[in-house]
Formats: sequence, structure tokens, C-alpha cells
Amino acid sequence: MTIRVAFAQLTSCWGCDQSLMDLHMRLLEVLPQLEILYWPAVVDYKLADLEALPRNSIHVGFVEGSCRTEEDVHLLNVMREKSKLLVAWGSCSCYGGVQGLANIWPLAELVERKFQRAETITDARVPDVNVPPFTEHIVPNPDRVKFDMILPGCPPTSDNIYDIVVALLTGAPFELPETTVCDQCPRKREEKHITRFKRTFEGKPDPEKCLLDQGYLCLGFATIGLCGAQCPSANSPCKGCFGPPPSVKDHGAKIISALGAIADIDPEELKKMFPDPVGSFYFTDYAASYLAKIGAKKREER
Amino acid sequence: MTKSRRRGESFEPRIVAFCCNWCSYAGADLAGTSRMQMPPNVRIIRVNCTGRVDPLFILEALYQGADGVLISGCHPGDCHYTSGNIKMRARYALLQNLLEQAGIDPRRVHLQWASAAEGDVFAEGVSMMVERIKKIGPNPMREGE
Amino acid sequence: MADEKVIRIEPVTRLEGHGDVTIKLGKDGKVKDVQFNVTSTRFFEKFLEGRFAEEVPRIAERICGICPVPHHLASVKAVEAAWNVTPPPAAIKVRRLLINAKQLSSHGLHFFALAAPDFLAGPFAKPSKRNVVAIIKALPDVGKLALQVMQYGQDLVAAIGGKAIHPVTAVPGGLLNPFSEEKRDRFLKMMSGLKEWMAQTLDLARRVIEDYWDPVTKLAVVPTYYVGTHDKGALEIYDGKIRVMDPEGKIVADFKPKDYRKYFGEYVPDHSYATHIYYKPVGYPDGTWRANTLARCNVADKMKTPLAQEALEEMRERLGRPIHATFAYHWARVIEMIQAMEEIDLLLKDPDIVSTDVKLSDVEPKRGDGVGCVEAPRGTLIHHYWTDERGIVTRVNLIVGTNNNISGIEKSLFEAARQIFEQKAHESLKLPEPMIK
Repeated sequence: MTIRVAFAQLTSCWGCDQSLMDLHMRLLEVLPQLEILYWPAVVDYKLADLEALPRNSIHVGFVEGSCRTEEDVHLLNVMREKSKLLVAWGSCSCYGGVQGLANIWPLAELVERKFQRAETITDARVPDVNVPPFTEHIVPNPDRVKFDMILPGCPPTSDNIYDIVVALLTGAPFELPETTVCDQCPRKREEKHITRFKRTFEGKPDPEKCLLDQGYLCLGFATIGLCGAQCPSANSPCKGCFGPPPSVKDHGAKIISALGAIADIDPEELKKMFPDPVGSFYFTDYAASYLAKIGAKKREER
Repeated sequence: MTKSRRRGESFEPRIVAFCCNWCSYAGADLAGTSRMQMPPNVRIIRVNCTGRVDPLFILEALYQGADGVLISGCHPGDCHYTSGNIKMRARYALLQNLLEQAGIDPRRVHLQWASAAEGDVFAEGVSMMVERIKKIGPNPMREGE
Repeated sequence: MADEKVIRIEPVTRLEGHGDVTIKLGKDGKVKDVQFNVTSTRFFEKFLEGRFAEEVPRIAERICGICPVPHHLASVKAVEAAWNVTPPPAAIKVRRLLINAKQLSSHGLHFFALAAPDFLAGPFAKPSKRNVVAIIKALPDVGKLALQVMQYGQDLVAAIGGKAIHPVTAVPGGLLNPFSEEKRDRFLKMMSGLKEWMAQTLDLARRVIEDYWDPVTKLAVVPTYYVGTHDKGALEIYDGKIRVMDPEGKIVADFKPKDYRKYFGEYVPDHSYATHIYYKPVGYPDGTWRANTLARCNVADKMKTPLAQEALEEMRERLGRPIHATFAYHWARVIEMIQAMEEIDLLLKDPDIVSTDVKLSDVEPKRGDGVGCVEAPRGTLIHHYWTDERGIVTRVNLIVGTNNNISGIEKSLFEAARQIFEQKAHESLKLPEPMIK
């Protein structure tokens, strides 16, 4: 039995496609069961081919990336129309992705820096021929269209992708866990009593002990347990790139909640240690946060 | 609707106040029974401790259109649960940085201490909050109501 | 006389990113304009501002999911340059191993999954046949070869960097994680297999080049400048000097990356969000240059390793130096894969590769700016950061590898369009029977 699939790339880094390719030999098992209707990453079908498909003719559509241009919005809407089941594939698609950090600034400032002020530019202008307009800010895809499933991750691991494809092929349920990275992390956890947060260039992380116990900002405690704790296993703190567990509505708020509880630090000192809460606490999901949405509304008013 | 029409006389801020049961909620009660002057803009939500106030509640309140969020609890050292208010204080510090960076006026969220006997402190805190928010203006999320 | 015509390719496929092509034909049937319309960008140059500089290697690498490693390393090198930090020598060796592992898998992905299908199935085959999935089905041996080569590279990246996609190990001062003996042994054991697979890959590349000799030597042969990194004249991807070669083959510049602003100009076209990087002293568009595999092979006098050197000599014997034939990029890619394999072999055999002295513990942030440069698979990659006294990024300039090629792509597309629309080259070029039907 084959299922008809399509993979669309909005504005993204291709990491999710790469993660699918990284199934390596398992591709030989999976690919024969997929009838590919659209996948510009590896097949030369054109947008017109996708637009010509009948409504709901794609069994499962995967959307990677988020809407940075009006063309992305169009492609997202086309995928929703043509797909019976639509999957938000990767943290960009679920939460806006790392490009959501750009929501801190109005679009005009982003454009100015990139196309007019950058140090190497010799002919400044803002391109506007045969290129789509930008969206004012990154609005997460689930706020634009309804998805039937979400699979966060930056990127989702090859195992995550294998699991969801197998579930779709066999009709088995696929649910996101309510557990966190800590549940998968092999390190020893002791008392959490932090008097100083360390930046990663300071000291040498002990490979056995909990990174947060050691004072490194590891966000595993508030991040969905899907990745197998890849980064802590490589002696590197979790940056929260898979987003929160499903029941947490604002990732950064949860992180602040936990840090406030374990930090034995004077509040003014604490403020000095975190001059970049957006970057530190909302790595791939700032666009999905309450404050980003309020900020966007504020700009709209002007 | 332009900002200038919303500001000024017609703008009545809507403020959510999370008050801890043991100190500030009792203090608020005292302010009421003592007939202290307090603007009516505040909706009080009683929690057992300011340590119960998840930053999520504060952000959710702002997202839903609250013009300001006040958190009022026991003085440090007096917390009924020992250190719940200390946790709130740390969370508040991080939240202030976050609000600023996100471009939301950090004065929309304010943390104060008021004991059960300090009805006057509570009332004063509320009045000052309302004045502050009147000057800052309405929450952009309220546009189109 | 025909009407004016606009031909749109929407989108260009088998690439990372978003691009369309717009070709304008005049009433006389002549090609008037060719545009490569890159239709999105994410503004990393702005949103990296305000971040902790040591976190940027893990943020900036999200520029690309195929080649996060070069971004990760250029980024950490930029911070180290800004803070005047020199990591321990063993850390440099492990970073070299990391970038060569990525070179192997990225070039493998490009060769097998993105490029080869058009050649193996033939350029006129239906899209349903002309893709890597169909190749895997129709030519299982080639499919297996592709997967094995890519897996070796990706698994080695993950073994060093923690994850194959968006690795986490590089910090200012070195690496968070040494390379373990157990992992070193595992990859060394598989090396003889890799050598065999690469020999087969070179054979396949030779066969494709031979089969398509007519298009390779006649279609889209455009003279341009070339830019790439070398180390004492040998092709280098982690750390070296940048060389620029003119279309006649003369080396016109040879400089340290920190001086890049004298030589790298950035032209903003009106029809693409990807800017055009070019050779600044000559101006735009005369200074159009290309980077990437063929360019690196052109500017280098030699390869670093023996088997790769043999392969380069073979290509030069047939096509000369500099080579302007656009399709030779695929050949140069496989030659670079061979060097990557040989570099991996040497590094795995070096006892320092498993050293635990890979991180300084006394790094101090400071106010300053620094340039980090590596060769990404797609071209010379430069990250330039300014930081304040707390080590927070205040400004970022990026020369992304691929942007070195955009103007050259338009030039080669223009030439190909001319040849096809005006001269009907597709009818006269000698093409082989496709390997799969």
C-alpha cells in the first residue's frame, strides 16, 4: 500500500529534508511506500503541478519552514487545500523557527540592515522585481491554517520522522509525549541550587552531572522529550529547539518560572546574567510567544 | 482608531491583580472595609502565594487584553510558605528584561509587597498602577473591541 | 518575427532555498535578460544582534540544514578572532575532521541526490523518473553507494558534533566534547569501505562526464573570475588564504580573510533577495566571480592529498586550467570528496584526534570584531561579528558561500539560454542513452 505524499518547503533551512535523507538505509524501506506528488527538494515538479492537483488528493502533506514572504503564505494555503492530512514538519513550521527572532524588529529595520547598511554593500536597494513581498512578521503556520499533526524539532530526528511515517503508513496513532528532555537525559541530577549561571565558554562541563546543576543554562526541563537528549549527551546544554511539551502554551514563560525557582541569586544580578531573554528562552519559538504576538499587534496599530 | 483618541479621559485601564491569600488579599480586604479610596479598575485574583503566579498567567493576562498586571504579596521573609515570594521576585526580574526586549513597556507589570495590616500600602499601590497605565495607554490587544 | 516572450521556471528544484528563473526573449527571438530570482531570506544579519556571541555558532548554523558545519565553524572562528582566543591545537584538528566529514556528505548529497538524476535518467525524462528516489529504485547499486557515502559523512559529523544537523560542539576556546577513542576506532574501521565506495563514485563521475562530453565542453562554458581558499597553494577548506583568479587564469589577489572587505563587493540586484558577491576591485558585473568546487580547483595549484591530486591532474589534462565549463563543477565535486576522504583518513590516524585537551577554560569576552572564514561546500564563507564588552553581538556581516555564485549562475544561464533558444543546441548536442529509462 502506498500513500500519496507531498513535501513543501516554505522559508527554512532544508534541515528537515536532510533529516529525512539521514534515514540512510531505512530510506530503502520507506521510499517504495511513498508516491511522491511534489517535493522540489529532490523532484523536478513545478508549483503549477502542485496547484493543478485535485483538492484533498494528497494523503499526507508535509510543510517545512515558516511564512517570511507572501509566496510562502500562498504555498501553505495550497498545501492545506490539496492535502487530506497536513503535518507541520519541524520547529519552523510549528512555531516559526529561529527566524522568529526577527520579530523583535519591524520589517523595515530588517530590510534596511540587510540590503542597505551591510558593510560590503556597494549598490544599496530593496529588491522588488519578480520577488514576493515579505510578511510583516513571522506568524506561526498553525495560526494561519489548521494542521492535523505537528512534529516539532530543529530538525526532528531521523527516528522521529521514521516513527511518524510508519504511523501514517499503518494508521497507528502518533502522539507527542508530555515528557521533557530530562526524561531522556543520562546525566546524574542532584540538588538544584544555582548561585551563578555560566556561559558555555566558561570552565569545562562535567560530562556526568546535570548541566543545569553545574550552572550552565540547559533548557531540557521545559523542552519536549523527542530528541533523545542529543545535545546534553554531547556535553552541550539544551537550547530548547524542539519547543515545549504540548500542554505548555508559552515556552519562555515556563523557563522563567523554573529558573526563578532554582536561582539563588540577587534579582538585580539575575537581570544582568540574562540580557537576552528572547534569544536565551525562545530559540525557535519566539514567533509563537504571547509577547511576540502583542508586539506584532502593537506595530500593526501604527 | 488612533492612539490619541484612546488615551486621556476615555481610557480606563483594566488591571488584573494577583494577590496572595495570606498578606495582600487580606490587605486588600482591609482597604475595602476601611473605606480607603481605590480606583475601581482592578480585578483581583486570589492565589495562595505569589509563588503560585506562573509567568504564563501574567503573559496570558496581557495577551487577553489586560492593560496592566499587578502582583502583590508578602514582604520577603514573611512568606507563609517561606520562599514563594522570593521565587516570584526572581521570575519578575527575568520578566522585566523580557518585556523590555519584546518592546512591551515593562511598567505594565508591577510587583509589590503589602502585608495583611497594610491596607493603605495596597490601596496606594493600586492607585499608582492605574496612573502609570493611564499614561502608557491601552494594551494594543484591545484594538477592535 | 515572434512576440516578446517571458519564460518562467517556478521553482528551480533540487537546491536548498527558493529560486525561480525568468528568461526574457525579444521579438527577434534573442535572449534579452536572464534573472535568477531568489525569493526569500531570513535576515540573520539583523536578528543575530543582541545574542550572546558564544551562542551564535548554534544559531547561525540554521542558515543551512545541508551545510550547518561550515557556518558553525566560521561563526566560532569569528568570535575567537574578536576575543583574541586561540583554541588548543587538538581542537583545531577535530574541527578539521568535522568540516571534512560534512564536505564528504554534502558533496555526496549534491552529486547523487541533486545532480546525478538528470544525467542518469537524461535531461528530457519525466520528473517522476529524473529524481534520486527513482534512481534508488532503478539502479539499486548506485542507490546503495550513495547512501553509504552520505551515511559515513553524516554519522561522523554526529559523532563529533553531537548531531548531524546543527552540531553543538564548537564554543569560543575549543570544543565542548572531545572525540572519543571508541568513535575514532569505529570510523577508522570503516575507512577501507569508504575508499572503495569513493573509487566507485569517481568511476561513476568519469562515466557521466564521458557520456555527456558534448554538453560538458560546449554548453554554458562561461569565463568568470574564481575565488577559493588555499594553504600554500593546496586546496584548503578549514583555514587558509583566499585567492582570486581572473578569467585568463592569472592570480590577481591572495590575502588573509580579515582583509576581505577590500576584495568582496556586494551588489544588491533588483530581482533577487540573495545579493551578488563579486570581485570588488574590478566592479560589477565585470567582477563576476564563482566560488564552489570548480573555482577552488581552479585557484589551487594542487590538492593536499595524493589520490585527489591524481584526479585533479586527470581533469586538468582533459579540460585545462582554468576550467570555465559549468558542468565540470560536478567533476570537481567528486575530486573534492576524494580529498575529504583522505583528510579524514589522516586525521583519524593522528593520535591527537582523541586528545581531551580541546577546551580552554579561561576565555574572556571583550569588545572587538573578528572575521571567521571557511570554505562551505558552495563557496567561500565569511562571518564577521562585532561584540561589546559583555560579549554580546552588536553587528553582523555575512558573506554566504552561495552568494558568490549568483551572478555567475545568471551568466551561465544566459549563455545556456542563448545556446538553446537561439542556436537550438539541445537538438545538436550529442547526448547518451540514459542509464535508466
